[in-house]
Amino acid sequence: MTGTVFDIKEFAVFDGPGIRTTVFMKGCPLRCRWCHNPEGLSPAPQLMVSTAACVHCGACTRACRHPEKCTVCGECVAACRYGYRKIAGTKWEADALADRLLRDSDFFEDGGGVTFSGGEPLMQWPFVREVIRHLPGIHTAIETSGYARDEVFDEMRKTVSLVMMDWKVSDPEAFRFWTGVSQEPVRRHMEALCAGETPFIVRMPVIPGVNDRKKHFETLADLVQGAEKLIRVELLPYQKAAGAKYDMVGMEYRPGFDESPAPRMFPEVFERRGIPVRQFR
Amino acid sequence: MTEELKKLQWEGWHHSFRGPAKEETAAAWRKPEMDDRRRTARRLCAALEAEKPVLFPGEIIAFTRTMSAMPMIYSPEEWEEIRKTHYIHELGNVSNLSPDYGRVIRTGLQALRERAEALCPGQPVTEEIDAVLKLTARYAAAAREAGMTELAQVLDRVPARGAETFREALQSLRILHYALWCEGNYHNTLGRFDQYMMPWLEKDLAEGRETRESAGELVKAFFLACNRDSDLYPGMQQGDNGQSLMLGGMTPEGGDGYNLLSDLCLEACGELRLIDPKINLRVNRDTPPEVFEKGTRLTRLGLGFPQYANDDVVIPGLEELGYAEKDARNYTVAACWEFIIPGKGMEIPNIGALSFARVTDQTIRDHLAECRNMEQLKEFLARAIREDVLRQMEERKNLYVIPSPFLSLFFDGCLENGRDISEGCVYNNWGFHGTGLAPAADMLAAADRMVLGGEMTAEGLIAAMDRNFEGAEKLREKLRHDCPKMGNDDGAAPYAAWLLHTFAESVRDLRNERGGRVRAGTGSAMYYITHAEALGATADGREAGVPLPANYAPSLNIRLNGPLSLIRDFTVPELREAINGGPLTVEFSESVFSQEDAVKKVAQLVRMFIRKGGHQIQLNTVNREKLLDAQRHPENYRNLIVRVWGWSGYFTELDRCYQDHIIRRAELSV
Repeated sequence: MTGTVFDIKEFAVFDGPGIRTTVFMKGCPLRCRWCHNPEGLSPAPQLMVSTAACVHCGACTRACRHPEKCTVCGECVAACRYGYRKIAGTKWEADALADRLLRDSDFFEDGGGVTFSGGEPLMQWPFVREVIRHLPGIHTAIETSGYARDEVFDEMRKTVSLVMMDWKVSDPEAFRFWTGVSQEPVRRHMEALCAGETPFIVRMPVIPGVNDRKKHFETLADLVQGAEKLIRVELLPYQKAAGAKYDMVGMEYRPGFDESPAPRMFPEVFERRGIPVRQFR
Repeated sequence: MTEELKKLQWEGWHHSFRGPAKEETAAAWRKPEMDDRRRTARRLCAALEAEKPVLFPGEIIAFTRTMSAMPMIYSPEEWEEIRKTHYIHELGNVSNLSPDYGRVIRTGLQALRERAEALCPGQPVTEEIDAVLKLTARYAAAAREAGMTELAQVLDRVPARGAETFREALQSLRILHYALWCEGNYHNTLGRFDQYMMPWLEKDLAEGRETRESAGELVKAFFLACNRDSDLYPGMQQGDNGQSLMLGGMTPEGGDGYNLLSDLCLEACGELRLIDPKINLRVNRDTPPEVFEKGTRLTRLGLGFPQYANDDVVIPGLEELGYAEKDARNYTVAACWEFIIPGKGMEIPNIGALSFARVTDQTIRDHLAECRNMEQLKEFLARAIREDVLRQMEERKNLYVIPSPFLSLFFDGCLENGRDISEGCVYNNWGFHGTGLAPAADMLAAADRMVLGGEMTAEGLIAAMDRNFEGAEKLREKLRHDCPKMGNDDGAAPYAAWLLHTFAESVRDLRNERGGRVRAGTGSAMYYITHAEALGATADGREAGVPLPANYAPSLNIRLNGPLSLIRDFTVPELREAINGGPLTVEFSESVFSQEDAVKKVAQLVRMFIRKGGHQIQLNTVNREKLLDAQRHPENYRNLIVRVWGWSGYFTELDRCYQDHIIRRAELSV
């Protein structure tokens, strides 16, 4: 079974406990306006160009054999002496990927392991499940939007050691506006996590003018209050560099909100209720 | 108090007292009838007489340089004559050693003077001791005049007499260290500070003279003093002053040396955030995670230290080279990373350097075409490595080192045997750096896959290299990205292991003219710049002009998989054989540390390197944007500290080529 991966990051310090290697699965059904991994959106391999650094030497144009339409053949990648071009999206066989990850396993003592992120890793769940099957005894974590079919989400919960799930926007209509999909399954899955047996972390991307409202924080607090397996809530403030990679994949970054103000944070909403909360910088 | 002193010092309050040395003073010692030891003594006396006491308001540890270096002991003509018939290492002075400070602080200069007089009346070192004590007396008088009675009382006692308290010991160390610089010795290291100073601290704590807090203040005062004159001791670059300091590690008796003072030193550095002293930390596979975490907190501050050394590898490695067990256990580092023995080694650990990259490149160019397999290429390469080290040995004959009677006081048996340290001591080994190991391994891996693997001819590869890959871009990319790379755990490490082992074997039977051995290393010192300039394009897809990595690190033009692959590959070679030292250098982006638990994770990573048999590692926390901005606006970044090759310095004080290299390394950061 093959899957498409757009990056493998060793020593990913923000993706769970201990020393971890994170696999970034390509493809996502959501279109969050603040997404900082645009190369994770499309499920297909695609060309990435460091346009800002490009010196316009023309070598890539000369090497191109498909000027009418890019086939991601990689000719131009080899032609760039500066290494400013690359292909995001590599096909992996599940067992080969597992072997690659197991190479790092001697570093995973003291709570480390493998994290599947994306994109939305649940979009390629059968593949991820197959990789995990080849990782016996390894701590596995998943970073998900929670947007998936119920049976996929349930199976995932019973398979991985830790779930890190986003809670993006509380208001269902606003959720659809900012992410492009329905909130219904996401809310259902959050409730399932709260009632379930799998340790989990909830991550809140806090975007200025979008969801930096106290009410949003309170909605989540209501949802997770009393959840036995909740490790903590993590607050991830919007980073202004989020748009940096859009240019590289030939997309335009149009967040639709004012990026300049620092998002307002309400960690006290959780603290007051005794819900562990951690704020990222 | 420390903060105010730091500010005054930082602003250069004391610089207004500085003056240049006068060339005519040299007449006092440049006399044909005066031998070199006497000349050194007279020169030191003149230097100390020319000093005038400068006291920072409220300071606890005194002594500040006001004179720049005195003219050397020889006239230019005399020196020229000596150079004709001798090998001169660097500037010609004794440097890069670890004096046995503890013994001299304990004994006191007065007692040592008496011993010297009893052994050989009127020998040069007695003049030197007198001059040190005279300057100390002038400092004591100045302190009294300034109302600094306690300081005056300390100066009344040390270094003339053996120190009784921790404060006295620190003041004594300050004066002794200061005098070494004045004598003309350089890269004067501070050695196993927490070991030799601990007895005084222990006594003071037991007798209630100091508390943990007050002792911490004293350590800070001493460290602050180490930064006071260090701009006068620039080395190859500003900041390369060799003031290394070792913490922790096994004691000569086999116990664990990490102690309260080790803690206080790490804490003091974290508070001061200055480049000196440069902290090294000895660890082993059983060192508790907390010690690594304490070290990592300094890494997070961007100080570029501690640099870690692994007792599990270094001690057996030294023993294999003939060091006695107790001495091997007592190792420290020279100015950068070379393992040396306090009070016993007159070693020259940087006397030569093998450019792995150059010999490998040359062998590929000369012989790849006639090889059918890797074994044949390796035979040629082993011969080339051997020839290179033999040539360097041949060029290093009839060594002359300018004597240092005062420094000799700190070394085993020198006083008793009437021998100057410049003539040798218990250990007289030499060390050769090994630069560009990773690129050399990458070249072999590429030649193996592409040419010996049958994809192309040797002539084709070399022709493309000669054209700097013009018109052969696809080949260049293939070499650069599709061939194994040391650091990516994809098959290049065995080549590196072979290269390093071959280097170690090539020097194993060599003896220098003092009977010492030659040690192979993985360091680069500043050679990573010059050795790269001497190369054209290479078989690993590296274009001409691309720098070599500093020390023991991956090539600079590759895509790294990450620090786990990196550590796996760099612990494959048998590093016990690379006992001249040279650290794996890893750059971390500042953002890695934005969460508190990152300290724990980075500490775990360092610990894994140690447990896997790494010998030495240094970590640098960098922010590429900040470095670029610092090049544009140096005035805003005067206190930005970076790790250069084996030492931490201020970024804006470095030459451009070293700045650019660090920025390039930062692009590969984790």
